[in-house]
Amino acid sequence: MPSQPPLPPLLAPYVSSLPDASLTLVSSILGATSNWLVLRFLHAALSSQPTSTFGADDLPNGTKKKVVLVSFLRSYEFWKTEAKRLGLDLARLTERHEFAFVDGLSELFYAPQATAAPTSSPGLGSSPRTTLPLRSPPGAVLGRAPQPAAPTGPPGNTAPKQAEPGIAKKLHFSGRGLASLDAMEKDVASVMEQQKTHMEEGDELILILDQPDLLLATTGPSMGIGATEMAEWITGLQQHAHATVLTLATDAPLIHNSSGLGQLATPIETEHAALAIGLAHRARSVMQLRTLETGAAKDVSGVLRISRGGGLSTENNLEEREALYFIQRDGGVTVFGRGES
Amino acid sequence: MSFRKRNIGLSPGVDRNAVSNTAQPAPESTPGIRPSPDDGRPTTSTGTRSLDNLLAGHAGLPMGKLLFIEENGTTDFAGALLRYYAAEGVIQDQKIHVVGVPEQWGRTLPGLIGSAESLDEKRSDRRKDDRMKIAWRYERLGEFGAVAGSRDGESREPQALSFNMLMKIAPSTPGEQDPNAKEAPAFCHAFDLTKRLTHPSITNMSFIPLLPSKESPFAAILKRLQTAIASSNASTVHRIVIPSLLNPTMYPPESSQPEVVLQFLHALKALMSAHANRVTAMITFPLSLFPRSSGLVRWIELLSDGVIELCPFPHSADATATSGAATSQEEPPQGMLKTHRLPVLHERGGGSDQNVGQDWAFILSRRRFEIKPFSLPPAEGDTEAQDTAAAGGMPKKSDLEF
Repeated sequence: MPSQPPLPPLLAPYVSSLPDASLTLVSSILGATSNWLVLRFLHAALSSQPTSTFGADDLPNGTKKKVVLVSFLRSYEFWKTEAKRLGLDLARLTERHEFAFVDGLSELFYAPQATAAPTSSPGLGSSPRTTLPLRSPPGAVLGRAPQPAAPTGPPGNTAPKQAEPGIAKKLHFSGRGLASLDAMEKDVASVMEQQKTHMEEGDELILILDQPDLLLATTGPSMGIGATEMAEWITGLQQHAHATVLTLATDAPLIHNSSGLGQLATPIETEHAALAIGLAHRARSVMQLRTLETGAAKDVSGVLRISRGGGLSTENNLEEREALYFIQRDGGVTVFGRGES
Repeated sequence: MSFRKRNIGLSPGVDRNAVSNTAQPAPESTPGIRPSPDDGRPTTSTGTRSLDNLLAGHAGLPMGKLLFIEENGTTDFAGALLRYYAAEGVIQDQKIHVVGVPEQWGRTLPGLIGSAESLDEKRSDRRKDDRMKIAWRYERLGEFGAVAGSRDGESREPQALSFNMLMKIAPSTPGEQDPNAKEAPAFCHAFDLTKRLTHPSITNMSFIPLLPSKESPFAAILKRLQTAIASSNASTVHRIVIPSLLNPTMYPPESSQPEVVLQFLHALKALMSAHANRVTAMITFPLSLFPRSSGLVRWIELLSDGVIELCPFPHSADATATSGAATSQEEPPQGMLKTHRLPVLHERGGGSDQNVGQDWAFILSRRRFEIKPFSLPPAEGDTEAQDTAAAGGMPKKSDLEF
């Protein structure tokens, strides 16, 4: 096969020009993961030219973009090697303050023993099983909206730990409920604000949240975090960014069980469905990845459906479409309509 | 057509050049680890050759990856896979960490026969001899005959594990180790489920018990894994073996809370990605207790790198006649195997592997766990066609033409 451009032409309009304050939701399932699409977003924002020849700093058309990637399921190593296939050198981009990686994988729940604070497991067994989710009253959230933009350099404990190059911050979840979410929000926001200090007028900061639904699944209402809290957490972060891209798992058991036909839905299912549907209503566009209904094929990896979200502004400038995509062994992607090739 | 070697066929009749092809990228410092033929990343064997071949062209489990094996029903085929995996680790001098089961588990590891290649070679030799006798275009006709006189045909097949065959093979097995296996360190070995593994480094396995604790029962496990891996020599390769995760006979009820088990798996994933070149893990999981349609299981799957589901067929005495063997020369499959996610391939977006989406059947026999394409048998009522073909003696013209 001829080598593909890193950004398939059909995909380009959807991943490259993200309007201000927009949310793009990328939904994935077990057999059709979203990492390749996230990489396309990275490429669209970070490569200086579409052909990815590493050009000089002068951009032909307008604004420079910076990206903060928060990943809860993949390590920096993964993103670095995969981005390299597209001609993006994340290490170098990090040095130039165009890219920052926030690690939500390595120390989210269990910090390594060197720093071992016994905060690791937040009293799970002791938490009483309640049938109703333990939500804090909405009033508790008030403190977050007016939170000023720049807590650059959060007090003490997180700043000195920057042993690994390339990773701007490692997220920690400690304690329970809103307090811990707030702490993490502060961490991510501080990275974003730090990026902003290197930005010029007109530059855009794009936030990519990779599977924040993991947070919801691994905590849940019994730890004081539900769909509402998560949605607010995301809103809080959105305020710091020009545009936000968010990936989410939308496997059938996570979405449809909650409709409550027949079987009893567990909190993990109801909360996940609530979060996913809520976000879809807020999003400007929803990019849905799924496998072929007709079974696997040798030259098709899956189906990409791009549809308008509930949050699309009135001018309706988004063309809905459905296309097939194919990921080659070398990481290149082709996106094509049904029947084309 | 690229020069890269495609996946070795999973069919039992692997031809010999394919075998020698896989053997050649041996020059690797660590035994038991070889670069993937697909992209060169280090891989290690699962101890089951046909499972290795299923893993998206890497011909092994890539390092740093977690394979999650689900099983329906009350059988323990997944347990056999897990034992092969552990035994392979023992043979390769890797450090095995077994979670949640007592040390007896380690004593039930299957005994070593030799390298998987030598076993395959022998088999294909015999198979070839069989094949040579008849020109290939008449082969089909031969099979027709075999269907008719089924008992005969079956025992003629070297693969069939009739009891006589076992008795014939058994005395020679212990010393049977192929001399070739000594020269180049083998990547994958063959094991015998009826024997017990004896190997100097079997004492090197560590068993991490589930201790009752006030907090998450996994916290202590994770801490032990972390210290063991962090404090070990940088060249030591580790295997994490977790049999029957969340099985209520071993795990306390609160461990199946999503926050408890998912946090553990997330942290395990973090641990493995921190030491991505030295750790692999395999987990088995009882689907009858936790159905795939539940959100919890789906999240566990999402946190795994590879997800494989085993669906054993309900046992029936006349299995040969009814379930899935294409001809009586093949052993009847014991169940279906589905691949929901494969390591690395799906992380990148998935889809383009030839093995994805195919129906697989598995057969567990004494000496091997075999995975091969599943094919439906001829319709059950359709005996007339076979009878006429066999009884008529003279095959129809269409059978000879091609």
